[in-house]
Amino acid sequence: MNCSQYLNSIHEAVDGTIGSIRRAELEMHLDQCADCRALRDDLQRIHDAAAALPALEAPPRAWLQIAGRLRQEGRIREEAPVARSRHGYVAWLAAAAAVIIAIASAVTLLAPKPVTVPPTGQTTPPAVSTGNAVDGKSVETVQNEVDVAQQQFEKAIADLEKVAKANQQALDPGTSATIEKNLGIIDQAIAENRIAVKSEPASVAARETLFEALRQKVSLLQDTIALINEMRKGNNAAAAQLVNKS
Amino acid sequence: MSGQRGVTIVTSKESELQLVERCRRGELGAFEELYRQHSGRLFSLAVRMLGNPADAEDMLQEIFLSAHRKLESFRGEAALGTWLYRLAMNQILDHVRSRAARTGQLTDGLDDATLLADASGHRLADRAIDRIDLERALAELPEGCRAAFLLHDVEGLEHREVSEVLGIAEGTSKSQVHKARLRLRGLLRGKEGVSGKR
Repeated sequence: MNCSQYLNSIHEAVDGTIGSIRRAELEMHLDQCADCRALRDDLQRIHDAAAALPALEAPPRAWLQIAGRLRQEGRIREEAPVARSRHGYVAWLAAAAAVIIAIASAVTLLAPKPVTVPPTGQTTPPAVSTGNAVDGKSVETVQNEVDVAQQQFEKAIADLEKVAKANQQALDPGTSATIEKNLGIIDQAIAENRIAVKSEPASVAARETLFEALRQKVSLLQDTIALINEMRKGNNAAAAQLVNKS
Repeated sequence: MSGQRGVTIVTSKESELQLVERCRRGELGAFEELYRQHSGRLFSLAVRMLGNPADAEDMLQEIFLSAHRKLESFRGEAALGTWLYRLAMNQILDHVRSRAARTGQLTDGLDDATLLADASGHRLADRAIDRIDLERALAELPEGCRAAFLLHDVEGLEHREVSEVLGIAEGTSKSQVHKARLRLRGLLRGKEGVSGKR
């Protein structure tokens, strides 16, 4: 019996595209041929294992860098300040508040000394706390509030950096270097986005991209502190998980 | 596009065209939406074609910057996902081939004798195929059949769509995927080191 004539049918059976007549012929052959049955089973398993491979996620900085390059190339038309102001403004302020709360817990975990973290209330301008968003506000007012929130982020980042730097010796040099490299990339994105915000203060998109970069930095510093904690506890499995995550 | 894995995206042709139009007008938010919808699959493809996440990250940036520049030419004849896969695969294959040319590596071609041996011989061990082993074996495939296999068996595209993305005939897509599966069988058996008889 010539098995090679069934090879295409085996692949089509694996694909699920084989017609009923050819399927019946193939099944008859497989009943008698252990070798072709083994081949069909193996190819089916390879196909299924391939379909089950996980989708991989690009690091968040990839988008920041793309957005930065698009701005540099002048390919982005900045939206009018009123276009998305309410939604965008509330969204980032809520995120800012959440970040500050998260920072407080991360810092408390590691640092024996009290670290000054901005109280949540300070990051929430009155308009938001009353649920009034930015409707009716001047661009200057919004800008001032953005400046305040940005300062809060920067203060929180400075506190986190202080804690991370003071305890960095707990990390091996390779991990330390990787973290430094990633911080450098995020710092570059922050610097580029600051320029964009400065040149177009009314742009909601520019502000959101800047805050996204600041959030990235907070997140990386939080992960670093968590990693230091796990390393100190000798919990290598948890540390490895954090390294894989970042 | 059929059979997409990962995040399922339900987009009508109309909403896809609206999104593209907003991107063309320079709305960053719209382009970010497009990026969020498609970056995962394109990044996975790039990692598996290029062999490492760092190169894939650089490639992803180039793909999306190029997509932004070329959106003017998107007419909606193909699905946006297929158009992006085509754009991505062209760039990835250019990169792989120029890298191969620089290093003097020959990456194309599977000879019949190898494939015959892969099709015959003992069966794979009766246990789940290890993901890491499969990823490593994938990296050893010649780029042509690796691309077709990734699009068809991993990403779930039909042969018609694979042929559109790679600019090859549908029959060639089938043949490339079939070769890839056979070679993977041989490579995975080699990794098992199991002896047997077919």
